[in-house]
Amino acid sequence: MLSDLEFFVSEALVGMKRSGLMTFISIATITVSLIIFGFFLLLSSNFNNLANFISSKLEIRVYLKDTLTKREIINFENELRKIKEVKKIVFVDKEQAWQNFQQNFKNINLNDLIESTPLPNSFSILLEHNENIVDIAQHIRGYTDYVEDVNYGGAIAKNISVFANFVKLGGLGVVLLLSLATLLIIVNTIRLTLIARQDEITIMRLVGATKAFIKIPFIIEGLFIGIIGAILSILFLKTTYGFIAMQIQDNISFFPLVFEESKLNYLYFMVGISGTFLGFLGAYISVSKSLKK
Amino acid sequence: MIEVRNVSKIYLNGFKALDNVNLSIGKEEFVYLVGPSGAGKSTLLKMIYKAEEPSSGKIFIDNFSLNNITERQIPYLRRNIGIVFQDYKLLPKRTVYENVAFALRVMHYSRSKIRRQVSQVLELVGLHQKMSNLPQELSGGEQQRICIARAIVNNPKILLADEPTGNLDPETSWEIMHLLTKINTRKTTVIVATHNKEIVDNIRKRVIALEKGKLVKDQQLGVYSTNVK
Ligand SMILES: Nc1ncnc2c1ncn2[C@@H]1O[C@H](COP(=O)(O)OP(=O)(O)OP(=O)(O)O)[C@@H](O)[C@H]1O
Ligand SMILES: [Mg+2]
Repeated sequence: MLSDLEFFVSEALVGMKRSGLMTFISIATITVSLIIFGFFLLLSSNFNNLANFISSKLEIRVYLKDTLTKREIINFENELRKIKEVKKIVFVDKEQAWQNFQQNFKNINLNDLIESTPLPNSFSILLEHNENIVDIAQHIRGYTDYVEDVNYGGAIAKNISVFANFVKLGGLGVVLLLSLATLLIIVNTIRLTLIARQDEITIMRLVGATKAFIKIPFIIEGLFIGIIGAILSILFLKTTYGFIAMQIQDNISFFPLVFEESKLNYLYFMVGISGTFLGFLGAYISVSKSLKK
Repeated sequence: MIEVRNVSKIYLNGFKALDNVNLSIGKEEFVYLVGPSGAGKSTLLKMIYKAEEPSSGKIFIDNFSLNNITERQIPYLRRNIGIVFQDYKLLPKRTVYENVAFALRVMHYSRSKIRRQVSQVLELVGLHQKMSNLPQELSGGEQQRICIARAIVNNPKILLADEPTGNLDPETSWEIMHLLTKINTRKTTVIVATHNKEIVDNIRKRVIALEKGKLVKDQQLGVYSTNVK
């Protein structure tokens, strides 16, 4: 069996050499397609990361009616604690809020204009999961006896994660189209080898080769094209992403880029598998079509 | 060994190449298949290795009907039949050794077994000194011998030789024919389709003659001419 494998691999290499230009074009297209695929994967992964990062910082701010007594405020706080999903409630005293505000905007001297604090008392609420932020904010708004107004930063987070999904979907569409084009090119490359070797195939069949035996070298050829494309594109993506990520880190340091080794390796793994699979599938289609008779 | 029963062949274009042919060839026999060009000799051989299907009638090999053999079984049938083609069918970009080894590769022989059997058979056909040459570097007779070597390298039960002396000078033709009779003595059934009257009349064997698709003669130790009965 080892001698079989050696034979298949050397046959595949001979085939690649014989249709050299087409092999080169195939490898080039599959590489470019995989780079674009990887690019979209990285992009959507980063947008998701950003969306998660932002929503982890989200809070619901509940502004309380000014007429409430201390007692009522405590009651309301207990009421709010009963809501599932609520992780943390911090009472923000209106005096303290005003101090914070002044601290943040030192250069405007508001004390001259305003005697008493214009800000209401409020609760800052952090949730367990931010997906429900809109519903919970609405729910809290319902306590009209206590609540003056409710604010939350849900919209941005929501938009970003919608955008990330959009990038993923759009990317998927582009990637599917590219995969199809790549597949066609591989199918044709292998077909060229098949045509170049038609005489050999005929002779192989006449001396008793099974169809499977005849097919294997061509499938290996497709696999090689896919694997070479995968390796090239992963090398490109790795270096380019490393470089771009470094630039972004240096310039916008707070931007939450995906850096985890495991996450990135998974992405590159997906790219590699896709390339290998495309190569295999292309060859398989071509060979099955040509050897039907 | 080989039974042909009521076999007719009408090609897709309507041409009737064989017309109700009946014959039976025993184990280890040596048979000449003669007849003018277009008589249907190659057609008959092709049906034995299932490159063509009879339009009607049946062919049996070792009592197995070829009609019942499925597409997937054809390779295994062919491993028992060595074929020497009218047009050689050698791989031009491979050496003599590779051309012969090819047939064994296809049958999953181990590398050492391939090496052993190929050099043995090249010795037998007298080409062991040219095994690293490409076919185009060899003469017609030598190419014919590569083809024979490939056909017999796995000791098939049946050897079909279609015009093995077609393009050769008389002396080389004799050598090739002696080689085929030598193979016959190694317990291989041999069928030789030929136009070569010289040889048929001198190396006397059973002669089966076809004419316009009809079997017109079947004679032990026969001669070429169809007139002499
Ligand atoms: N695939 C085909 N389609 C149509 N007609 C064919 C086909 N193959 C052969 N024939 C015809 O069948 C007849 C017999 O052909 P075949 O090749 O069997 O002759 P042959 O006896 O081998 O001749 P030769 O001695 O020239 O090799 C010929 O007239 C040929 O034209
Ligand atoms: Mg013929």
